Amino acid sequence: MGLLQGASELFPISSLGHAVLVPSIFHWTFKQSDPSFLPFLVLLHIGTATALLILYRDQWAAIIRGFFTAAIRGEMKTDSERLAMLLLVGTIPAAILGVFLESRIKTLFASPYEAAGFLVLNGLLMLGFEQLRRRAERRAAVATTSRTEQEAHFASAERISFLAAAIVGACQAFAFLPGISRSGVTIGGGLLAGLRHEEAARFSFLLATPVILGAGVVEIPHLLSAGVPLGEYLAAAVLSAIAAFASAKFLLRYFRSGRLDPYGWYCIAAGLASLALLHFSL
Amino acid sequence: MRSSSLAVGFGVLGIVFIIVAALYALGVLQLFASTTSGPHYKHAILFVVLAVASFVAANFARPKTV
Repeated sequence: MGLLQGASELFPISSLGHAVLVPSIFHWTFKQSDPSFLPFLVLLHIGTATALLILYRDQWAAIIRGFFTAAIRGEMKTDSERLAMLLLVGTIPAAILGVFLESRIKTLFASPYEAAGFLVLNGLLMLGFEQLRRRAERRAAVATTSRTEQEAHFASAERISFLAAAIVGACQAFAFLPGISRSGVTIGGGLLAGLRHEEAARFSFLLATPVILGAGVVEIPHLLSAGVPLGEYLAAAVLSAIAAFASAKFLLRYFRSGRLDPYGWYCIAAGLASLALLHFSL
Repeated sequence: MRSSSLAVGFGVLGIVFIIVAALYALGVLQLFASTTSGPHYKHAILFVVLAVASFVAANFARPKTV
């Protein structure tokens, strides 16, 4: 589960959807109704967030410094200061929606069938984001150039508008639906806001870190009080961190020229296959 | 967009958020909470973050003296 979560969290294929679907399909004896299931998933998410913190340690140091400098000065002068404020603006809608809606949404849509259906929808969203991006490339008259030249036409994360950052942040709320990928919708949102693929992925990963960490820290007391096998869970969190680190490295390199399409097609295929497996109880 | 009244507005909003955060942390406020008793730290942390954002916004909105 740790490896699965770490690998699927950052890929735009929905870790929550996979965490609901895979145990159901393979008949793993993992009680999803168990009170410790959500804290367990949160611990795995902390593993992922730790990997992202390590990966972006220099940037986070600059962002934190930039936040305090800009907040005290009341002005943004550097890219790090602007990025810090963009992340704050992007995190607020996700945090509000998370606190007030997350448990209600997850209770409403917890079945493997719904997760499989949303996985198909996630795939369609990824393909839709890329279609809109191709249209933007045609408008910018770069559709026939090389992928590197196409990407060079678009912006870096620091240049996104504050409104776009808030909208991309709010899009994270869709990931409360099992099957909808947090990184998928935020990378897609970044693409619509005019970011390069690699920059959209970077902004998505930076935006996810405080939300995942915050949600995790709040759930830790529940994990400790539930009488769960903590050693086993921590080992899973370490595996999750290793898988997430490798995934992030891979994705950042992939998105220098790659697109979301393969992940979109994968989600559609995996969702439909899961629906068939669940329906025929294979 | 800088103005003193906007800065004061954000400052007041920040103070309101701090009070709401304290009420959630003490278990006095139960609005929009999943359980109807006890402290709600998740809500409290959210309102602390909102308060910080409001104070930052207030400082950004404050007219600067050159």
